[in-house]
Amino acid sequence: MEELRDCFVEELSRIKENDDRLYVLVSDSTSTCRIKPFMEKYPDSVINTGIAEQNMIGIAAGMSLGGTIPFTANAAPFLLGRSNEQVKTDVCYSNTNVKLAGLNPGFAYGSLGPTHHCIDDISTALAFGNIQIFAPCDPEETRQITRYAASYEGPVYIRLDSFKADNIHKASYRFTPGEAVVIREGRDISLITLGTIVHEAIRAAVALEEEGVCAEIISLPSIRPLNPEGIIKSLQKTGAALTLEEHSTHGGIGALTSEIILDNRLDCSLKRGGVPAGYFAEAAPREVLKKMYGLDSDGIISSVKEILSKMK
Amino acid sequence: MKNPFALSAEETGEKAKKIRRNIIEMNSNAGAGHTGADLSETDILASLYFNLLRYNINNPQDPGRDRFILSKGHGVGGYYCTLAEAGFIQKSLLSEYLGSSAKLPGHPVRQKTPGIEFNTGALGHGFPAAVGMALAAKKTDASYRTWVLLGDGELEEGSNWEAAMSAAHFRLDNLTVIIDRNTLQLADRTETIMALEPLPDKFRSFGFHVIETNGNSPELFLKAAAGAMKTVGRPSVIIAKTIKGKGVSFIEDQAAWHHKIPVGDEITSAIRELE
Repeated sequence: MEELRDCFVEELSRIKENDDRLYVLVSDSTSTCRIKPFMEKYPDSVINTGIAEQNMIGIAAGMSLGGTIPFTANAAPFLLGRSNEQVKTDVCYSNTNVKLAGLNPGFAYGSLGPTHHCIDDISTALAFGNIQIFAPCDPEETRQITRYAASYEGPVYIRLDSFKADNIHKASYRFTPGEAVVIREGRDISLITLGTIVHEAIRAAVALEEEGVCAEIISLPSIRPLNPEGIIKSLQKTGAALTLEEHSTHGGIGALTSEIILDNRLDCSLKRGGVPAGYFAEAAPREVLKKMYGLDSDGIISSVKEILSKMK
Repeated sequence: MKNPFALSAEETGEKAKKIRRNIIEMNSNAGAGHTGADLSETDILASLYFNLLRYNINNPQDPGRDRFILSKGHGVGGYYCTLAEAGFIQKSLLSEYLGSSAKLPGHPVRQKTPGIEFNTGALGHGFPAAVGMALAAKKTDASYRTWVLLGDGELEEGSNWEAAMSAAHFRLDNLTVIIDRNTLQLADRTETIMALEPLPDKFRSFGFHVIETNGNSPELFLKAAAGAMKTVGRPSVIIAKTIKGKGVSFIEDQAAWHHKIPVGDEITSAIRELE
């Protein structure tokens, strides 16, 4: 098992070995992004802007226009929330080559409460123009997405969870921007999810299998770009979808899936799992919140049964 | 790299007059624009583009060029007319300002206009980006200088003070911040809306080398800039005292002319005053 942030930092070190243009900007978030190993190797390539996230993003944009490749790394709630206009204008609209890593998104900060939750970042980033949005689910995918972000010329947002995980993907897996990844094939329902909730979905699918329900799992590591074909194919096959995300049900991948269903006139039942639109998540431990919002494996199993029973 | 014109202060002043005439004509033709802001900054922009900034007109993206950001993006009219005068864009393009072709929009867009480094319009964004440009130069041993022009009312945005703190912290002596201190913002005097004074003391306490000068005199402004460029170990700010609407008597120093344009006889009167 590996912590995804460590994989991110390790990969940054690897990239820096071959590309001196890479710099990491933190807003006093050195421990949040576990940057120490990189910092020990490249002390002059980590820039701490202090607790000033708006300035950090502006500086990153300016640095990219000075010929460097800046990665920013700070807590997700203080990225697109605090620096909304800087991301919109300095990064997206100015088309600067800035990579934004939003750490510990969703309700990873649990009991610290809604000031520290980030359940609106996908919605916000999707509403901006000109930014690619990624959410890795395991160590291998984290490394590949980090590598891709550094090589891509333009704005990137990586929704990077704090999570220790085993690899779901094999070493032969190749992250492809735009691709909806089938993690497990099924016929009865499509579980569409992202990031670390993919692991909950797998646990749920294994348990459901024993009860004769065969769930397909689609992971969305690439929220933008997104080629909808993989999702369409799955929904045409199963006719039922459950979306799962540590995000508001407004504007996240649940909303994205409902748009795909409508745009393509698919005959498909849909339940959107997440924090109900219009509400903050409670200030409670993450595992409690996962249960509360039906995002743990038990909750996923219940939702699947509910959807399938309604379809009968 | 050198400034391709290297004009004297007097010649720069003549360029500024020409730019001002173009501003009046362009804004009147467009039927919109921020005339007061455009005329306020003209001598500063002329000093930058015809004397101070080192750039290659045949390759505006030359990595060694000096960087300039117009943070007060609403002053884009003065900026376009300066860029046209310097040869970055065709003068004939000025007739498309704010027009349906969307080639010269109401705020600077770097993807559309050669010479523009950064998209602004929302206030308080240019200074942090300029810090980033100057910091990148320090990190990569590049010799370009970074200049950023801010409106004085714009200083009410808190992001500027985050940037000021970091510019001094990173000892960015390759950065010069210019404040277009015309004392007027959209609604009224800056000191009535949200007092900025004692502005020099504020910047001094943030660790800046502070230079106060007349921003409508190329001669004095160029002297101030020379002082900024000699400063070692800390960033400089030039508080350039200007008159909003400078050069046209009936536009000067009036908040109402923030985004008003001359019409009818006003156009000929304005041009006559600028001959």
